[in-house]
Amino acid sequence: MKLNLILFVVLIICALTTVNFKHLTRNNFAELDVESKKTLDLKDQQTMLRIEESSESRIEIIEKTAKHKLNMHIPNQKEKKFIIR
Amino acid sequence: MIKIKSRREYFELSRARRRIVLIFMLGMFIVLFAQAVKLAAFEKDKLQEASRQRQHREIVLLPYRGKILDRNGSLLAESTPVYSIMADAALVNFKDVDPTNQAKLHKKKKQLANLLKLSTMDLDRKLSNRKKRDVALRKNIAPDTKIKILKLKISGISSNKVYKRFYPENGPVAHIVGFTGSDGVGQEGIEMLMNESLAGKKGKIRKIIDGKKTPRVIGEFQSIKLPKDGADIRLTIDLRLQNEAYNALQKAVEKYEAISGSAVLLDAKTGEVLAMTNYPSFNPNGYNKVGEFIKNRAVTDVFEPGSIMKPISLAAALERKVVNINTLIDTGKGAYRYQGKFIRDTHAHGEIAVKDVIKVSSNIGSAKISEKVSSNNLAAMYKKFGYGIKTGINFPGEVSGTLRKHTTWKKIDHSRASYGYGMNSTLIQTAQAYTVFANDGKLKPISLIKENDPKISKRVLSPNTTKAILTILESVTDDEGTGSKARVYGYRVAGKTGTTKKIDEINGGYSKDKYIGTFVGLGPVSNPRFVMAIMIDEPLKKKGYYGGTLAGPVFSRVMSKAFEWYSINADGSEIKDIQNNKEGNADKIKL
Repeated sequence: MKLNLILFVVLIICALTTVNFKHLTRNNFAELDVESKKTLDLKDQQTMLRIEESSESRIEIIEKTAKHKLNMHIPNQKEKKFIIR
Repeated sequence: MIKIKSRREYFELSRARRRIVLIFMLGMFIVLFAQAVKLAAFEKDKLQEASRQRQHREIVLLPYRGKILDRNGSLLAESTPVYSIMADAALVNFKDVDPTNQAKLHKKKKQLANLLKLSTMDLDRKLSNRKKRDVALRKNIAPDTKIKILKLKISGISSNKVYKRFYPENGPVAHIVGFTGSDGVGQEGIEMLMNESLAGKKGKIRKIIDGKKTPRVIGEFQSIKLPKDGADIRLTIDLRLQNEAYNALQKAVEKYEAISGSAVLLDAKTGEVLAMTNYPSFNPNGYNKVGEFIKNRAVTDVFEPGSIMKPISLAAALERKVVNINTLIDTGKGAYRYQGKFIRDTHAHGEIAVKDVIKVSSNIGSAKISEKVSSNNLAAMYKKFGYGIKTGINFPGEVSGTLRKHTTWKKIDHSRASYGYGMNSTLIQTAQAYTVFANDGKLKPISLIKENDPKISKRVLSPNTTKAILTILESVTDDEGTGSKARVYGYRVAGKTGTTKKIDEINGGYSKDKYIGTFVGLGPVSNPRFVMAIMIDEPLKKKGYYGGTLAGPVFSRVMSKAFEWYSINADGSEIKDIQNNKEGNADKIKL
């Protein structure tokens, strides 16, 4: 009789634990799903920023900015200075 | 009609009917039982799988395709999110009985049409069939435009996200990077070569769905396998030099009204390809990526190398010690009859030293030097320099060129081979061959993808012969040499020009007005760091067709940038002038 009772209690505990773990798994999965979506969005943003950076750092843009905003120019042969060590 | 006379008679009839019904029911039970046994015993697995498929929805998780970067991390190819704007024609409604609402709806419709770059009439036409629940209004919409569209909050308008490959650098790197097809699989170039690494591995999630007609995910998951993103590929290309080479090529091709041009720049110390470009190019972001200019002609097209082979045939003679650089060769009056055919030079040079044969690019001189070398030795030397063999760069479509077996050569073939006729090669083979002169006689294996593994060079020439050839090649860029236009201010450079007649495909033989102009050079001579080969195909003859004129300036422009950007020590005569406190063009800064 006692053994039966103990087994019954163990059974109830196992059943509750199973339910609890299923619930936790569901929650974790939902969180994982949300985080995966966030990762994807962040990756998309990173991509867009990288493309923006690559288009802004193009040599033509730099040369244009240097020429028009900073009044710089590419040195001609006479203006070139060689560093002699 | 049967007349029942007594109660007994009634039951007698009833018993017979009962038996029939009983037998029928028993039969039905047997059939059902047999069916149950069949389903449970023989079709169990199939039915369970069908049930799982109805209950579960498997969602494929796509990996991010890897990026393609240049050696400094500049972006060459990237997968970007783009959107398709979809409409449910049954739900989209721009009409209302209330005039105020009608005005608002009309305004929204106009805004939507503007964002979609459609006219309102086109928009109406697309939405005219109210039965269509999934009308694609526009594809490949940028994310910010999609946000603006969804902010309009028009019922029935939604968006689908897809990933599209984007190539920010367009034409200059198009031939190397290649492109992907609409299915995201690489079709050309590195996209094709490295497709497996770039693509990554798909993941999947299995979810439980309800049994409704339009199934809905009801949350609980069964299994998840996260996708593995594709690996990034870093190339050896330097985008700055690639653009410089492309722009210089474009200028040369347009100036001389040529069909096309190609250029390859190698790091002589590592064998890495720093630039490899062709003009005209194509836009890999466009839809119609077809036509003859899609090929990376530097590796897929062969041409007769011409005079750029002369230093190699001379190297064979110097290695066998059958001549030295001061041996005199009589080139006569510019025409030499050999085996019933004429070998011609552009000018008469008379008796000249071996070193000047290369400087003035004498075909007669090269032919006469090669007479002292056996066909076996000459062909073996060409092979050692990489001719007739693929470079090992593994680029899609690469060809090995043709170097016929020396046993099939006639005397005239041997003679012609000494100045680069009767064989063909790709531009990249030529660039690789000249790494021998830049590396003390060792041929460098070349690479396009950045790797950490060291490459083992192969000795081809003795250091003494290499030194002698390098000195001769430097003289080619003298004022009297054929490659004077390739000079770089402040640096010593060496190289060889080539002007080859093209084959006349209609009449046979060589064309009288179709040429290929080439230049292959290296620098700085005191410690060679770069090797560059340039080819200009079919310039307009009256505008100029010599290799030195066409390709020399391209070499000069790109090399000067390479020296500057890689902080290469200047070794030119101008620097010596400054050091000797003579009047020079440049100023001196003491550190």
